[in-house]
Amino acid sequence: MQNPYVPYPVEVIKIVTEVDTKDIKTFRLAFVNKEDEESFKYLPGQFAELSIFGKGESPIGIASSPTNPGYIEFTVQKAGVVTTALHEMEEGTMMGVRGPLGNSWPIEYLEGKNIVVVGGGFAFTTLRALIQYMLNDSNRKRFGKITTIYGARTPGLLLYKDELEAWSKRDDMELHVTVDKGDETWKGREGFVPTVCKEVAPSAEDAVTVICGPPIMIRFTLPVFFELGFSKENIYTSLEMRMKCGIGKCGRCNVGSKYVCKDGPVFSLAELDRLTPEY
Amino acid sequence: MEKRLIKKDELLGIVKKVGGEFNVFAPVKLEDNVLFKPLAPGEEPLLTFANTKNAPKGVFFPRTEVMIRYVRTPKGTVLKGVELEARDAVLFGVRPCDARSFVLLDLLFDQEKYKDPYYIAKREKATVVTLACTPVPYTTCFCTSVGGGPVDSTGSDVLVTDIGDVYLVEFLTPKGERLAKYFGEAKATAEADNKKETAAKEAVGQIKSNIPAQEIKPILDVSFDHPFWDTIHKRCLACGTCTYLCPTCHCFDINDEMKYDDGRRLRNWDSCMFPLFTKETSGHNPRPTQKERWRQRVMHKFKYYVDNFNAIACVGCGRCVMYCPVNIDIRKIVEDISKLQ
Repeated sequence: MQNPYVPYPVEVIKIVTEVDTKDIKTFRLAFVNKEDEESFKYLPGQFAELSIFGKGESPIGIASSPTNPGYIEFTVQKAGVVTTALHEMEEGTMMGVRGPLGNSWPIEYLEGKNIVVVGGGFAFTTLRALIQYMLNDSNRKRFGKITTIYGARTPGLLLYKDELEAWSKRDDMELHVTVDKGDETWKGREGFVPTVCKEVAPSAEDAVTVICGPPIMIRFTLPVFFELGFSKENIYTSLEMRMKCGIGKCGRCNVGSKYVCKDGPVFSLAELDRLTPEY
Repeated sequence: MEKRLIKKDELLGIVKKVGGEFNVFAPVKLEDNVLFKPLAPGEEPLLTFANTKNAPKGVFFPRTEVMIRYVRTPKGTVLKGVELEARDAVLFGVRPCDARSFVLLDLLFDQEKYKDPYYIAKREKATVVTLACTPVPYTTCFCTSVGGGPVDSTGSDVLVTDIGDVYLVEFLTPKGERLAKYFGEAKATAEADNKKETAAKEAVGQIKSNIPAQEIKPILDVSFDHPFWDTIHKRCLACGTCTYLCPTCHCFDINDEMKYDDGRRLRNWDSCMFPLFTKETSGHNPRPTQKERWRQRVMHKFKYYVDNFNAIACVGCGRCVMYCPVNIDIRKIVEDISKLQ
């Protein structure tokens, strides 16, 4: 019997500080054993328990795409005991990863449709994984038009700046990056995500929206998409809850009879409507 | 199915002999408490008792257990070993309600996907010898309202029933049959079966608490926002006694502990009654007050578990009723829910 509580050993091979406040870093992890990498078959939208022996575990969305083999990436904000320990790590350190856990973005359902990706702030991580996945050469034709709207409070708080730059030059994806307030060097768009969504006004025809961000952003963005004609079946989001086991046993992350860790974290708004509003 | 009869004064000797081959867990009197615990060498089990204060689930799902050991190295802290050993064990003197709880816990820990190896290893090595409730021990017992019964054999490998002058011993599973050699040669008669049936009927008649536990699911389905949830929690101290004594509560926490360079990852019982149970690092708590926590406890037992496993996560042992320091009574809660509009 495979023991789901034992993490795979991984080595931190690269650390990138993403934001000017220095409290969000992306950790690139490589599996110590080749066979573990093969067992760790994942899709964008899934998460894993980052495991630091002596500190604990923290459930974090996978920020990389399986189309980039050889490593997995996690973008982590320094917040509690485990993430603080992680932020103090150096390249070359050994740690553990338990997963992949949870469901994923509904890849099969997204195929053949136009995809609108809406992200706010630090919640862009598994959306980045999805975009990387869809933009992959062998996958791109499986999806229709891709429109991405991504916002942060300030230019310094945008994640994956080099990648955003590269995406902006592509002609097979429409990218709208916005900040609440720019600085003297900012030449891009200013404005909140809901407003930008309204301006961009992606068509609801054959389209699915995938949205992740702070609750306040989601609250004001959803009405925009309802107005554009998106149904609740065609808007997907990802939930977060305090978790421990990640496999539906320890009993804390349920929303009604569903466990966010194993039945989620990805739900359509239609599915969420059928659950209790306890998250 | 093998059945034997044993004289009442033989049982203690049999348990002692079984102890020579197996690790025996049984009810033991410690000061004023009757506890379910491993029998120490020479220690005698109680044969006349109502029920143990703690639920025997702890044999498979201990209050605290080591999951993983690790060690600090110059390159980081790395895995040293996984603790998964389990010894052959006999659980003697389990009550039918508690034996039934094992089957309910199996539904969670032994699912098709994501099996819990720590629970399963101990569970597979254990043989459950149940002592039927003739007579019924407490006025707070309500096993018959949740699908069980005082002589119910669900979850048992061996069922021992007091039928007056002798014990009727039924070996219900291959695991149970391995113990048959300890129980003498006296085959059970049809008369013994009749006596058992009479004793069972009498016991069911002795149950004082009958509650509509199996009827409230459709009401709970539509009552998440009902003002009723404002009426339970106000006197709750959030002590967690109900969840710690409950034979079916399975929530746990995972914690790390280090001493010098050696460390261990432990699993500890946790409780939905505690504010920290769902509190996130950001400070946000989806269950911010005791009201939401009580709703979770009731919903989990009488709705969510039914949604997920088609079974109520309550065996009617009455421990939470007896030991709640502020007399919150799950029987009354269920009764009240059944009358909700």
